[in-house]
Amino acid sequence: MSQPTSSPFAHNNQSVRKVMMQVQIAALPALLTHIYLFGFGIVVQWLLAIATMLVVEYIMLKLRGRPIMPFMTDMSALITITGLVFCIPPEAPWWIIVSGSAFALVFGKHLYGGLGYNPFNPAMLGYAFLLISFPVQMTTWTLPVDLSGHTLNFIESAHYIFTGQIPGYSLDALTGATPLNEVRNGLSQGLNVTETITEQTKNQLFGLTSWGWVNVAFMIGGLWMIYSRVISWQFPIGFLGALALISFIFHQYDPSVYPPTSFMLFTGGTMLAAFFIITDPVTASTTPKGKLIYACGIGVLVYVIRQWGAFPDGIAFAIILMNIAVPLIDQYTQPRVFGHQR
Amino acid sequence: MIEAILIFLGLAILFGLLLGYASIRFKVEGNPMSEQIDKILPQTQCGQCGFPGCKPYADALAEDKTEVNLCIPGGNEVMIQISEITGLEPKQMDETATETKTKETAYINEDLCIGCVLCIKECPVDAILGATKLMHTVIQQECTGCEKCVPVCPVDCIEMLPQHVTPKNWKWPEPVTIKEASK
Amino acid sequence: MLRPFIEQIAKIYPTAKRYLHVFHGGVFPKYNKELSANQPVRTQIIPNKLILPLQQQVGLAAEVLVNVGDYVKKNQLLAKSSKDPKKALIVPMHAPTSGVIESIEPAILAHPSGLLDMAITLKPDGKNITIENVLNVSKQPIETPDQLKDILFHAGIIGMGGAGFPTYAKIPSRPGQIHTLLINGAECEPFITCDDLLMQTQADEIVQGALITAKALGSSKIICGIESNKPTAIKAMTQAAIGTIVEIKTVESVYPMGGQKQLTLELTGIEMPHKTHAVDIGLLMMNVATFTAIYRAVMFGEPLTARMVTVSGLGFNKPFNSVAMIGTPFSELAEAAEPKSKLDYPLVMGGPMMGVKVKDNGVPITKTTNCVLANPPEPVDMQMPCIRCGECMDACPVNLLPQQMYFHAQAHEFDKVEKLNVFDCIECGCCSFVCPSHIPLVQYYRHSKSELKEIHAEQKAVDLAKERHEFRTARIEREKAEREARLKAKKEAVKKQSAAKPADNPANNADTPKKKPASSAAAAAARAAAARRAAKTNQDSATGSTQTPETSASSEEKMPSARLKAIEAAKQATQQSAQQDLEQGSEKTTDPKVAARNAAMLAAKKRAAAKKAEKVAETESDTSTPVDAVNALDTEKPDQTTIKKDPKQAAKAAAMAAAKKRAQAKIEKKANAEKPSESVNTTNKTEDASPSQPEPSQMVDLTQQTTETDASRKEAARKAAKLAAKEATKKRADAARVTKQQAEAERAETIERTGQVDPVTDKRNKAVEAARQRAALRKTQKNQTNSDE
Repeated sequence: MSQPTSSPFAHNNQSVRKVMMQVQIAALPALLTHIYLFGFGIVVQWLLAIATMLVVEYIMLKLRGRPIMPFMTDMSALITITGLVFCIPPEAPWWIIVSGSAFALVFGKHLYGGLGYNPFNPAMLGYAFLLISFPVQMTTWTLPVDLSGHTLNFIESAHYIFTGQIPGYSLDALTGATPLNEVRNGLSQGLNVTETITEQTKNQLFGLTSWGWVNVAFMIGGLWMIYSRVISWQFPIGFLGALALISFIFHQYDPSVYPPTSFMLFTGGTMLAAFFIITDPVTASTTPKGKLIYACGIGVLVYVIRQWGAFPDGIAFAIILMNIAVPLIDQYTQPRVFGHQR
Repeated sequence: MIEAILIFLGLAILFGLLLGYASIRFKVEGNPMSEQIDKILPQTQCGQCGFPGCKPYADALAEDKTEVNLCIPGGNEVMIQISEITGLEPKQMDETATETKTKETAYINEDLCIGCVLCIKECPVDAILGATKLMHTVIQQECTGCEKCVPVCPVDCIEMLPQHVTPKNWKWPEPVTIKEASK
Repeated sequence: MLRPFIEQIAKIYPTAKRYLHVFHGGVFPKYNKELSANQPVRTQIIPNKLILPLQQQVGLAAEVLVNVGDYVKKNQLLAKSSKDPKKALIVPMHAPTSGVIESIEPAILAHPSGLLDMAITLKPDGKNITIENVLNVSKQPIETPDQLKDILFHAGIIGMGGAGFPTYAKIPSRPGQIHTLLINGAECEPFITCDDLLMQTQADEIVQGALITAKALGSSKIICGIESNKPTAIKAMTQAAIGTIVEIKTVESVYPMGGQKQLTLELTGIEMPHKTHAVDIGLLMMNVATFTAIYRAVMFGEPLTARMVTVSGLGFNKPFNSVAMIGTPFSELAEAAEPKSKLDYPLVMGGPMMGVKVKDNGVPITKTTNCVLANPPEPVDMQMPCIRCGECMDACPVNLLPQQMYFHAQAHEFDKVEKLNVFDCIECGCCSFVCPSHIPLVQYYRHSKSELKEIHAEQKAVDLAKERHEFRTARIEREKAEREARLKAKKEAVKKQSAAKPADNPANNADTPKKKPASSAAAAAARAAAARRAAKTNQDSATGSTQTPETSASSEEKMPSARLKAIEAAKQATQQSAQQDLEQGSEKTTDPKVAARNAAMLAAKKRAAAKKAEKVAETESDTSTPVDAVNALDTEKPDQTTIKKDPKQAAKAAAMAAAKKRAQAKIEKKANAEKPSESVNTTNKTEDASPSQPEPSQMVDLTQQTTETDASRKEAARKAAKLAAKEATKKRADAARVTKQQAEAERAETIERTGQVDPVTDKRNKAVEAARQRAALRKTQKNQTNSDE
């Protein structure tokens, strides 16, 4: 070789692909739980998303003049669409996921320079885009099996997603609001929070609602990821800790208006966000202290948006807002270097 | 209606007074911009910008009498910095003659030197040692590579050569990125 | 306390091991030390040739003492340093074995650049004839650091842990400055086991070396740090350290435990501040191999010629350790380890984490080489963009931010990289080891460091160039100003000269040259008047040098008497002021010559004034001026009585008088104070009257006309003194001639009288005479040249 290469000549054999694969594997329990509780809609959506991803990535890499090979298979786009797929209703029309993934990949990743250069979390960017552009479709969730009494099988889901109808069933029986949405609607209608929640607990499966089980599945996957050092522990602990703390304080203050901590932690996309979305290393803070501050910030913002904001689940916006603050956080949380005073 | 007008008038007067006071109280003597620009110029005193040295060019720039893209040894980086300091538009450099970043210094071929002291008079940093009818030589440490001595030599004995690379001043090369590797 | 708990957790969560040591970060690579650790130490290989580079890693090249073809013995000094060791870091080089010097030429070095540098090539003869105790050590114990430094300097010992800093320069001269001596037996890199085996086989030497050093430096504590993956070595060292102050501490096996700052923190709990040396805070750390070398140098007078080297790697069948001679080519050692396949890939000098891939496998072992590594090349993963995972930051032992440094280094923002403390980076390679994107981070930092060094050097050069340029422009301006000043002065002098000529007539007198610049105003007025007159009398047909005096005279008659009066008054006033100045000047100067000269000038002025007064009296004006008073002044010269109307005649008379005076002076021989001044006076007078004598008068004129300062007066005085000296030499020469002539005459007389000539004395006299003649000839020649000036 003409140019000298530098030491070290050893490596611990970690790679980007491996990291992404580990994240994907960690999401598997949650996926299975989701299929069990909500039907196969999510599988259809996921397949649609993968198809979109392949097409969009190829086109964008060609347009940007980058080599196709390592970038197509580095699995980072897979994480994005997995996150997005979990966020949308399983029975949403096909163009929702397609437009959402395309937007997320193009505007959230490639236009900023590809892997490693985007400031905003692409999945959350796509989700926010969908929330704002198609609010109706994004808030009509499929009811879990314990509520609707029937899970859609694969064909039925596909049929519904592509055509918007299922032969033999009416939509109203299958779709409804999420618990968070219910609480919100209840408050606006004058119902007490406790009443709404007790209403929900009537349909619990081993002590938790379906949503709760999905969240638990996410948590299991997340804990495994912490163990295998794929994600940093500061993210989930900071986020969940902050969320728990603030919801606890407010719940103590007025239980009738503010939901309890357990409700906060196990509904919506809390666990998904805690272990899979905010841990995206590219868009999160990099210093250890910074990670904690970032995660706590998201927790507080999620609570604020959920309670007083216009959207039932404010995770997307909370994350995007904290992404904006990341360079500032990084600047002021630099660790003390060996041998220096500060 | 009348109150709005009065309020705005009052505010305008107040701010005008404040600004006037500030312009007198905090007036800066001299032209600090010239000093700032001079600091970033490469100080080769080569004259390729058309001015007899780096400080005159900086002074002219501070008075907005000349272009920002004239400093050839400084190259693009200095041009951008100058445009930032002066607030002028960055202009394209006329020639990218300084693509070769290796610093070259002057060497006098002692076999040909006739001791005419023309190069000594020309050197803007007094880097040539010598006297009439005696051998001239370039003090390598002081030579800035401005090439002013090369054309004045009547026997054409000065040439510009790049510096020797020794294990002492050898530099680690930058690693090749994926973008360049794929080209 | 927490340690066993963490150790338990570490079994399932390996990264928890990071909490077992004090410094931040660290990685746990696959060590592969068992490849060579369990092999016995082989006997020393005498290779086919030895390449000994003259320049070590740090410092300047040594000077070669031997020539090509010389036969040298083992331990013979081949290259030394003749410079003051305190000022120049030069390490001597000794022959590792006996043999013949094959060549002294540039050879390729084990440097990543692959550049060539001067090296001595030695061909061993296999006999190993040794010079014992080449350092001439006595068995006296070493009490002071300087004694130790001396021995270390002559033994050529440098830091053998890898940095290669000359040990004699590292050790301070003040006894007691080092309170704790640290022995680095950590050896944290994978594959390397040379220190391990050294500790197993030569533990006594290490301990004794440390004790010698501690005694010399006045240290009270010695701590040795050994990693926990070397149990045999720990046992051997503990055994050797029984009964001594050496304390053996086991430290965790983590890379980079062997780094100086990391091990110091681990062993003593002291965190070394950045940019300080350990010796400044009272610590000194050296490798076990260095201590062995110190022991051998102090006890046996052996210089550093061989060291323990590991030859290992996944590409060898039989990796081993051996005490290899400095200068052994890598390829010979590699062949002894039986490579699995042909060595067409570059070997690595050092370990896989911090080693250097050599450009040619024939490079030599240096004093700092600890391992020859052969790992067959694996496909290198392509560098991906950084995913900002933060693993590098978690692994960095210096707690830097490799990610940020990488971003800024890629963007060539080297000032920001420097702000992120890149110069604290120890280039251990932990960050690149853990990076999932396979980014060669350490190479970016090495590149940034060299770029920054160059930027700093360039900045310094730019500042220096700016200074030099400013100085040069200032110098040129100063020279220009001086030239202009001189030119201006000359012009004024010339103008005054030409103004002085028309003023030689009754209007002015002969002492205008002696006037101070106060008179220049009058001269200017006179010039202006003359110009006006000349303009008026353009039709005047009279030519020649007499024109101006005539025209002035005639025009003077034409001028109204009042005007004349005014001019006269102005001139008198200036004369008076000039006289006062002269008198004052004569009071100021203490030099008797100058004082006398001033007095003479005064007298001359008075005389001239008297002359002028008479002239004025002769014209129609009957102004009562102070001239009368001047007239009444005493006059010295007798020729004053013979005042002529024509200034020329007066000048002629003055010249005759002057000539008479000169003759008198010559006869007298002695040159006393008055004579030179008088002669100067007379010469001045003659020179004034005859302006054909060029430069001396003008020189005198210039200085007197331009400034009124003491300096100019002193100049004038100096010049006058020089002239006086010339006159004096002339007189002496003439006098000598006269005496010689007299002597000759006398001798001739005696010869005539006696009629006899003593042959010997005559010969001697003749020789002496010839010499004298020659001398006189020389003197006259010199006088001639003097008068020519």
